[in-house]
Amino acid sequence: MRLICLLLLFWVYPVFATETEPPIRFGLTAVVLTENLRFLDQWSQYLAQKMNRKVEFVLRKSYQDVMDLLDSGGIEFAWICGYPYVQIRKPESLQLLTVPIYRGAPRYHSYIIVHHNSPHQHFSDLKGNIFAFSDPDSNSGFLYPLTLMMDKGEKPETFFRQTFFTFNHAETVQAVSEQVADGGAVDSYIWEYLAIFRPDITEKTRIIKTSPSFGFPPIVSRVGVNHTTVSLMKSTLENMDEDSAGKELLERLKLDGFGHFSDSLFNEIRAMAHKTQRADPIYSMLPTD
Amino acid sequence: MPILSPKSWPLAIKLSLTITAVVAAVGFMIGAVIVAQDWKRFQDELGAKALLLSEFVAITTPKAMLRKDYWQLYLSLKNMASRRSDTTGGHEVITAMILDTEGKVMAHLHPAENKMDLPFSPVNRIEEELFQQAMSTRSTIVLSSGGFSKTGFQEGVVPIFSDQKYMGVVRVRLSVAQLYEKAKDSAMIVLALVFCFVIIGSGLGTIVSRRMVKPLTAVTQGLEAVGRGEMTDFTPIPINERDEIGRLSVTFNQIMAELAEKKMLEEEIAMSEKLVALGRITAGVAHEVNNPLAGLLNCIDTLRKHPDDKKLIDRYLPVIDQGLHRIKDIVHSLLVGLKIEESHETMSIQHIDKLHDLIKAEIGERNIDIIWENRTNKDLHIPGKIEQIVCNLLKNAVEILPQGGRVVFCMHQNGPQLVIEVSDNGPGIPSNIRNQLFDPFFTTKTNGTGLGLWVVYRLVQSMEGIIEVMSDEDQGTTFHVSVPVITMKAA
Repeated sequence: MRLICLLLLFWVYPVFATETEPPIRFGLTAVVLTENLRFLDQWSQYLAQKMNRKVEFVLRKSYQDVMDLLDSGGIEFAWICGYPYVQIRKPESLQLLTVPIYRGAPRYHSYIIVHHNSPHQHFSDLKGNIFAFSDPDSNSGFLYPLTLMMDKGEKPETFFRQTFFTFNHAETVQAVSEQVADGGAVDSYIWEYLAIFRPDITEKTRIIKTSPSFGFPPIVSRVGVNHTTVSLMKSTLENMDEDSAGKELLERLKLDGFGHFSDSLFNEIRAMAHKTQRADPIYSMLPTD
Repeated sequence: MPILSPKSWPLAIKLSLTITAVVAAVGFMIGAVIVAQDWKRFQDELGAKALLLSEFVAITTPKAMLRKDYWQLYLSLKNMASRRSDTTGGHEVITAMILDTEGKVMAHLHPAENKMDLPFSPVNRIEEELFQQAMSTRSTIVLSSGGFSKTGFQEGVVPIFSDQKYMGVVRVRLSVAQLYEKAKDSAMIVLALVFCFVIIGSGLGTIVSRRMVKPLTAVTQGLEAVGRGEMTDFTPIPINERDEIGRLSVTFNQIMAELAEKKMLEEEIAMSEKLVALGRITAGVAHEVNNPLAGLLNCIDTLRKHPDDKKLIDRYLPVIDQGLHRIKDIVHSLLVGLKIEESHETMSIQHIDKLHDLIKAEIGERNIDIIWENRTNKDLHIPGKIEQIVCNLLKNAVEILPQGGRVVFCMHQNGPQLVIEVSDNGPGIPSNIRNQLFDPFFTTKTNGTGLGLWVVYRLVQSMEGIIEVMSDEDQGTTFHVSVPVITMKAA
């Protein structure tokens, strides 16, 4: 009887151990991903199964909120934009984990969109109109159009009559399609994603400018997270395309997979960030505090 | 077309139509009141809903307004609008907007036409007034388009305050289109109900009015029968109720029964009178014929005894001749008096004037004046009987007049009536014999047959005419005859 009890204890122990271990927290914003809770559940279950640890997605409104969580140790991993990634932090609080591969490369663009009935053909035509940005820490949704204005020697306040942030690329598309804004800057990945799942919205928009390619919003880990966990997460994500469940999830994300790339992938973004900071130091204050 | 005139319609139709009209009028009035009240209630409810939605937006927006978070403001309008149409499915949000203190658009449900951060521009004068009302109010109000129209609306206007500072206003406008449909549907139901009501009411009205009018119709038909003189084959009106109509029917039945009885009695009396008259005629004939017959038989008997006595023959033959002529006259008059119905021959009215000469001849040497006046249309044709009437009356007058008397003959038309008046200024008819004037064999003359006036009476009667006698002793006599013969114009 005692033996059975002991055996039971041993049998229960590993399960119990995994249950009590704190979950891995993964920060996300609606900027990179539409808020599909069922999908996130499936993805977290997949990761938990592969890593043998509970994985929890932590959703925040803005990149700033996610960055704050990283700084304060509230999350271990995050999917952030290249723009916050390239900003200089002292000491460095995060490191590049892996980069999504989209349509064969870890790259994407920024689209400048207008309503499909809009007379505007160029970015400069939008002067004096209302413009929708997605997130002040978004490369495609803010930094890129900002540099376009900088090139013309303008600032958002002077170039546009009014601007606003939607904190969500999908909502930027919506704002333009419903003519709340005359133009908007969006992530090409999100726009293409919507073109598949919500063509009714994207059909009402027209791309008038496509940016050069930039490094895709990367997944980063917080400095100080257990190395084993970091490499386990990295390998799990990068090997998702090797099993059917992972492939299915990638298909839902419309990504080819995740891959290891060097930090230089984000040099273009880094250059733009540098340029805008130099031009107007106030923008360097936006992402940090 | 008398059928088109409501005055000639049967009472049953008029009554049921009246009942139908009253039922319809009452029904439609009640229906209209219900529909109008329904519509008002719907409108009030919609206004309250519009206000609720505006308040909902106004509560959630001050922070976004302060931060000029246009997107958030737009989403709050958008969510509010889509929530309404998705969940309750009741009322479509036509438009919604958030305006700042200067009337600039902070958010609008139709951003394409109403750009953000620009002053709101009303499209017409009415919109301008509503806009001014919305901008000037500092408390919640409901603006309404009013009237019963598909394009109407109810608008909830709620000012936005943050820390007691006025920041702007929320306007949410709901369409009454769905309400309109709802009100129309309920109006149709009310209309259908009223229609059923009218049909049932008019059906009941018809039954009731027919039931009420039935005895009246029977009374009318009965009275018409009385008018035609048919009373014996009258079927009594059945009595089901004891109301006024019931009582009328009872009385009418009684009257009809009494009339029928009276008619029967009259017929019996007429029959017995006829028998009496027949008896009198028979007795008259027997008496009048018998009188000369006795004389005649005596004469013949005497002549037979003395066949060769020339003096007797000369004396008795005129007596026999006179007696036979008298019998012949009596038989002729009787034949005229009794066979008058068979005669339908007509003659020109001018023929009457020939009697003038005849009467003059009758007067002979006597000093009697005749005044002749025929005022009738010369083209008229009249029954031959008239001649006999005039002749008899004139003969009577002439015979009775003493020397220096005067007879006035006058004939004229009065509508369909041919009026004949024969007056004399003779001794007049004693009042005690006036009611015997037209009896057969009644005479005051020594050798009269007593059949002249009887024949006149019978002729007048046969033509459904009237004969009247006006007589004062020593003042003279006037016979007034009126016969409806003018229609009998020969072609």
